[in-house]
Amino acid sequence: MYVVIVGCSESGYHLSKALIAGGHEVVVVEKNNERFQLLTEELGSVALLGDGTDERTLKRAGVSRADVVVSLTGFDATNLVVSQMTKHIFKVPRTMALIKDPKNEPIFHEVGIDVVVNSTHLVLASLEEGVPGRPLVHLMNLRVPGMELVSISIPEDANIIGKRLSEIELPPNSFITLVVKRDGAELPTGRSVVEADDELVAVIPTGDEQILHDILTGV
Amino acid sequence: MRVLIFGCNRLTSSLVADLADGTAEITVLGGERDCLESVAVHPGVRVVLTSEPMMQDYLQEGGIDHADVFLAMSSDDHQNILVAQIAKHIFNVPKVVCHLGSPQLQVLYAALGLDVVGYSFGLLQDVRQAIEA
Repeated sequence: MYVVIVGCSESGYHLSKALIAGGHEVVVVEKNNERFQLLTEELGSVALLGDGTDERTLKRAGVSRADVVVSLTGFDATNLVVSQMTKHIFKVPRTMALIKDPKNEPIFHEVGIDVVVNSTHLVLASLEEGVPGRPLVHLMNLRVPGMELVSISIPEDANIIGKRLSEIELPPNSFITLVVKRDGAELPTGRSVVEADDELVAVIPTGDEQILHDILTGV
Repeated sequence: MRVLIFGCNRLTSSLVADLADGTAEITVLGGERDCLESVAVHPGVRVVLTSEPMMQDYLQEGGIDHADVFLAMSSDDHQNILVAQIAKHIFNVPKVVCHLGSPQLQVLYAALGLDVVGYSFGLLQDVRQAIEA
């Protein structure tokens, strides 16, 4: 696969390294001369010095034959522009962008960016996971606006323990998609029985976290 | 008419002076305190001092959900592109005008359906026309 990465922060560097190790063809566009030198020293001739929001630079990077363009600059707005330029001018089949402000996620989906990686959500989810007594963790937003993937761990005193999934009334448009037990994950059926410390992964409408939380963890 | 303007600079100052007729409700979002103070003297003008990380919160504070016109007029093309598309696609503001300095970006975003203005388009007249169209 031919991958062009625009903006090479720490994560861009590790991503390029992993992609190269995986046998992919990679070009990294970096505006900052110092970082460009560093990249060239570390990764060889994959780095290209230039502004990734300039059409000529993108052309030099061979974006028109890229399978994927990943925008990893530190600015949401710039990542949006890179993704839209590569998608519409160079017809790149898959555009991926990093964002920091979670509120920017809907507009990226709306204008057709294929994959939106929300770094704040990712960090927040990991932090939430580490906080004791925080049973509901937000995993990701789905591409369909208004739906999200969450994970809930069932406390020992929850009154749904021992019940079958078919007996539990979920909010409308909510689905349990995976049950993770101590000995591994299983696909839920109506007959799956909820046990203490189970981890339930669910797709729910954004905003229904509290309702689901109360149903599944209520005493 | 409720007008929300993103960015405070010389262009904004001229625009506000032109648009503030006492009947228009104008809100200007910007990070430049001096500029905001100078536009705030016009009738019907409210200003909001912003810093970048909370961009969308400021848009809401500026009343984007009931604006009739949104003008992305900062000197940062990328920010203008982001907020103009948010105004158009997320908040469905009926009239959105986006200022872009880069001719490449002007061509792309005009093709993607934004009302784009820039030096090459004869700036002030275009904004006026775009609002009234």
